[in-house]
Amino acid sequence: MPIMEHKSMAWRMSVNERKFIETALASDLRVDGRRPFDYRRLNIKFGREDGCSEVQLGETHVMAYVTSELVQPYRDRPNEGILAIFTDFSPMADPSFEAGRPGESAIELGRVIDRGLRESRAVDMESLCVVAGKLVWSIQVDLHIIDNGGNLVDAANVAALAALLTFQRPECTVGGDNGQDIIIHDPKVVEPLPLVIHHLPISVTFAFYNKGDIMVIDPTHKEESVMGGKMTATINSNGDVCAIQKAGGEGVMPSVVMQCIRIASVKAADITSKLKNAVEVYNTERALRKVKRHPSKMAHQVSVADITLEDKQVKDLPRHQAKMACQPYIGSSQDDEPKVDTRTSTNADGNSSGTHADAFVGGPSKWDPYPLRVGTSQVLGTLTVVKEEQVVSDDHRAVECSLDHTTTSSSGTVSVSDAMQKSNTSKSLKDAVKCLLEFFLPVTMDFWMTSVATEYWHFAVVKVIVLCAIRCLCQWLPSKLMKAL
Amino acid sequence: MNSMPSDSASMSFVDRVVVPGDHVLDLTGMANQTIKLGAGLRQDGDAISVMKAGKLRISKPNKYWVESSHKRYVPCVEDTVLGIVVDSKFDNFLVDIKAPMLGLLPVLAFEGGTRRNIPKFEIGTLLYVRVVKANNTMNPELSCMDETGKAAEFGPLKDGYMFETSTGLARMLLSSPPCPILEALGKSLSYEIAIGLNGRVWVNAASPSTVILVSNAIMNSEFLSAAQQKIMVEKLMKRLQ
Repeated sequence: MPIMEHKSMAWRMSVNERKFIETALASDLRVDGRRPFDYRRLNIKFGREDGCSEVQLGETHVMAYVTSELVQPYRDRPNEGILAIFTDFSPMADPSFEAGRPGESAIELGRVIDRGLRESRAVDMESLCVVAGKLVWSIQVDLHIIDNGGNLVDAANVAALAALLTFQRPECTVGGDNGQDIIIHDPKVVEPLPLVIHHLPISVTFAFYNKGDIMVIDPTHKEESVMGGKMTATINSNGDVCAIQKAGGEGVMPSVVMQCIRIASVKAADITSKLKNAVEVYNTERALRKVKRHPSKMAHQVSVADITLEDKQVKDLPRHQAKMACQPYIGSSQDDEPKVDTRTSTNADGNSSGTHADAFVGGPSKWDPYPLRVGTSQVLGTLTVVKEEQVVSDDHRAVECSLDHTTTSSSGTVSVSDAMQKSNTSKSLKDAVKCLLEFFLPVTMDFWMTSVATEYWHFAVVKVIVLCAIRCLCQWLPSKLMKAL
Repeated sequence: MNSMPSDSASMSFVDRVVVPGDHVLDLTGMANQTIKLGAGLRQDGDAISVMKAGKLRISKPNKYWVESSHKRYVPCVEDTVLGIVVDSKFDNFLVDIKAPMLGLLPVLAFEGGTRRNIPKFEIGTLLYVRVVKANNTMNPELSCMDETGKAAEFGPLKDGYMFETSTGLARMLLSSPPCPILEALGKSLSYEIAIGLNGRVWVNAASPSTVILVSNAIMNSEFLSAAQQKIMVEKLMKRLQ
């Protein structure tokens, strides 16, 4: 029958290692080449979501994850939020860790970090209150130990702080119908809020050897197996002592404890600066990711419209004006003045024609992306201008509306349009055709603009050519039709 | 997997990385020859197929095996390993050799060992032992003697420092001609070293700083080429002076 290993004796240390670590420490040498008060390399990384951090301290690897939810507050603290720390010592980190209920060291680690954050009032609890006595935010910090390379407390503390510094909770307001509802705003709609953290308590762990004579900072896994005692001091960069933990082990003199605290304050300042740098880098990167740019469709519409229309404005205007001149049906004395005005104004820019039209109609938008179209339709007077406004705003309904508008004047227009109406009823059919064509142009242009924006730019060339063709058609066809009719 | 039909084609697999499922040798053309298969190879009808990922090696004329590097150790007969004593029973010591099962070191497996002079090893003693029997169903059996019955450097190791590496690095350190890192370190420092094929290495020297330097240099040299190893040692020596 084969002899299997005892589970509890999964990792053994030889006598040689034990003795060597102690003799080397007597000469101020550590097995991995560090000096007694040197920290291992600290590496802080963040996940894609807010409040997720990963810290590597030499071989030790810890992950922290912060989540929030709305709960009822504790009865004795009705206007304070809740902070909870949960530790998970994964069995993959160390053969001595067992799945299931947290062991003694897991509970101790959670308690040390909790004391450092809560009792020093590092995290502001009162800002987490939503409705006093009824609803507060509960912040839960989950610490996962991935790899145990020694000194879990320090690594887990840095991970928890990094996660809390980058965590953002959704904004929530009290409102609604009865003024009592809590509305939690979507983070994409309303910017989420970071937690209010007053200071950063950093824990520094010391290991004692040789009956308290020798101490080292940041012990590795092997050094921890050989040490006589351990002490953790939690200090912030201002030098305030937030917590001290010395659970069992060898006794040390009070002078040694004071010396440790002095060293810890120096180390805490160093770690605080590293933590702040890492968080700043992450915050700028996150801000860059969140920068809202104009939707590309709108941007292209503006630019392409300018490019194509301005070119054609100059070319087509003389031809268009010539055609207008030789169309006797249009030439009513009333129209002449506005016609002349608009022509001159279209020569200048589209905006003035729009404003001129507004004198008659008072439409909502003053800027018309298709000034040329406004120019041509000015001939028909305010009627088409009104239709233009509608077309500009809503393409889908304009098809149906345009025909209606040619026959019935819009309510917005006043007596001027009525007069126009009377003079133009006889030519309503021709008007209708013209209006249709006038309308067809912007629709196609819109269609082509969007496709230019969303599809490949090299199709734009083809589309510009097509646009020119349609434009020529629209100018040329009505005259033909009128002649026919 | 496509099988390479000829023997000359199998030479193309030698010293190359192979993965489980590769057929490296076809036996149809080798009727009267004996081939010895080492770790990671298996006979699959008319072809030899690979079971472990690693490099295929050949030792003329007819020994083939697959070499790979792991953090675990699978015991093989005639391997020399470093073990830590876990317990002592009536007839054997229980020794941990980083294998799936504890090794058994018979109490009498020492040069001139009788029932009257059984050595006393405390728990945690480091031993340099030889694997005598290895089976995946039984605990491996160890011995502190060589085949002829002499001690031959086997036995407990005193002082010094022990660290653990992968089996690949241990094999590289044991290669002959000597590994460049050991040679380079030996030129300027004097130290004693014992390497176990289970990935455990023991280093001893006069001063602790030398021991620390040698052990860290070896741990960092696993993936360096020969030239890089020499350069690293030169830099370390310069920093010392």
